[in-house]
Amino acid sequence: MERRHSLRSHTIRLVALAAALACRPADHAPAAAGSTVIDDAGRTVVLAQPAHRIVSLSPAVTELLFALGVGDRVVGRTTWCDYPPVVRLVPSVGDGLNPSLEALAARRPDLVVLYRSPLNETAAAQLSRLGIAAVVLRQDRLEDVARAARLLGRLVGRSAAGDSLADSLSRLLAAPAPRSRRRLAFVVWDSPPIVIGAGSYLDQLATLAGAENVFHDIAAASAAVGLETIATRDPDVIVVVSDSAEPRPPALARRPEWRVIRAVREGRFVYLVGSLFGRPGPRAGGAAGELRRLLGQVTR
Amino acid sequence: MKWLGLGLVVVAAFLGAVVLGPVHVPLAGLAASDIVRTLRLPRALLAFLVGGSLALSGAGLQALVRNPLADPFLLGLSGGAGLGAVAAIALHLASPWALPLAAFAGALGATALVYRLGLVGGGELDPRVLILAGVAVGAFAAAVTTAIVSLSDAAELRNTFLWLWGGLSGASWDSVLVLAVYLPLPLAVLFAAARPLDLLALGEEPARHLGADVESLKRRVFVAASLLAAVCVAVSGVIGFVGLVVPHAMRTLWGHRHRPLLPAAFLGGGALLALSDTVARVAVAPRELPVGIVTALVGVPVFALLLRRWTTS
Repeated sequence: MERRHSLRSHTIRLVALAAALACRPADHAPAAAGSTVIDDAGRTVVLAQPAHRIVSLSPAVTELLFALGVGDRVVGRTTWCDYPPVVRLVPSVGDGLNPSLEALAARRPDLVVLYRSPLNETAAAQLSRLGIAAVVLRQDRLEDVARAARLLGRLVGRSAAGDSLADSLSRLLAAPAPRSRRRLAFVVWDSPPIVIGAGSYLDQLATLAGAENVFHDIAAASAAVGLETIATRDPDVIVVVSDSAEPRPPALARRPEWRVIRAVREGRFVYLVGSLFGRPGPRAGGAAGELRRLLGQVTR
Repeated sequence: MKWLGLGLVVVAAFLGAVVLGPVHVPLAGLAASDIVRTLRLPRALLAFLVGGSLALSGAGLQALVRNPLADPFLLGLSGGAGLGAVAAIALHLASPWALPLAAFAGALGATALVYRLGLVGGGELDPRVLILAGVAVGAFAAAVTTAIVSLSDAAELRNTFLWLWGGLSGASWDSVLVLAVYLPLPLAVLFAAARPLDLLALGEEPARHLGADVESLKRRVFVAASLLAAVCVAVSGVIGFVGLVVPHAMRTLWGHRHRPLLPAAFLGGGALLALSDTVARVAVAPRELPVGIVTALVGVPVFALLLRRWTTS
């Protein structure tokens, strides 16, 4: 219960922040000017004027656009976009995995934002041929979000807001919370056991929360590992990210073979809700604080 | 001598699976180690039983359709079993005990369809048509599986995908118990069919003259092989290659008589999968490889060597 209150107050703070950013007068001055950017797929994207009808094909970009104060220009979203809650009023154009060009074009956008994947790069090229500007952005880690904030800020005519958001994210990254010496493992799948490595946003969140990911030595974002490896690394806490809004104990907690892991035997789990923790975005600072608080609640 | 060698390989594969791992467990503390008792031991047993069953299933099917290419994959059994299991997961029926039954239902459905198609030429079961029918039914099952996977929601999608990959990382004493319950009957049926399968190798007509009940034999072997493949798919996903290659490798050493060939295939398949799984766990530690990749990497060179020996002698 307490957790939800904290989430809500956090939400209110962010909306206030977004509103404050949106009202900065300096932002409106260069609004008539066009912009040229190079996206994360190396494509040059030219807009004659700031984008006014934007389709966002990633939940993190949707959050960024609202944080930049241009949430009212979002005319299409994915089925996963759930924050801020008001975005549910915007029509969904699909799950964003393999976008339907017709569904996109029907929203008559002047800018489509996609996350970087081979299928999406193909879709972006096809959109360009239809005369619809499309940018492809990497969104794997916080640095990517900072860069995306700057780039989107220019494309929507809110450069100052984009830069300040990017700067605040960079400051966040530069100043992690003091080390709590708490060692954790993120378990994102149980069969085969898949854990989070150093290449992932969640690993960054752990650092920001002052904790240590016991699989930080794995360079990839995630990796399949053996149960005995997890048992030997002996994390204090198992962190589970769930898709559902209501965190539930994972099935693995009841399975005998998982009980060789001390944290599982002693029931030390932390559940993270996917919509806040599963995507790097402007709420990263809040997510890190929340993770630190949840880790603090687990008794040693 | 050959049996002693095979026995040593089996023991070595099994010991390796228990002693080796990403974590060093001192030999003296092996019996007391939690990691060995709850993780390595059931996993080694599971690998051995699954590998042996797949190889035995392949050996039985190759004899049945008198085609060296036959294996649970080619005859559509694995595809049908996979479809049954994925459908069960999509319908939220995936308990450890229901999954083998769902996979078995899928495998049996595929088997029935393949069998029925194999009879289209007339009264006799035509082995060539049977292979074609197996490929077609397998492709159909794969298409339906992909449709289910692509239409399911994100969590189930991951669930089914990772499961179809195949692997033994879900091993526990529970999964060993599942095998202990489901395997003995089809294993006994196949081992008992060794002599009649030798007769069948002469052709259906001669076999009949020599007193074999050919139709009943074909039914028994087909159903038993399907059950073996289905239970394996249910506990470890679709692991290819073992069912095809191990029987051939054993044939190069033991000849075509099924009395020695079937047990040899069972032991050889078990040793291959146990060995492959150890490599999968240790080779890129702390990460793990999907075991199907290793069975191919380990098995193909061994097979090539045996094949050369066989053709030159």
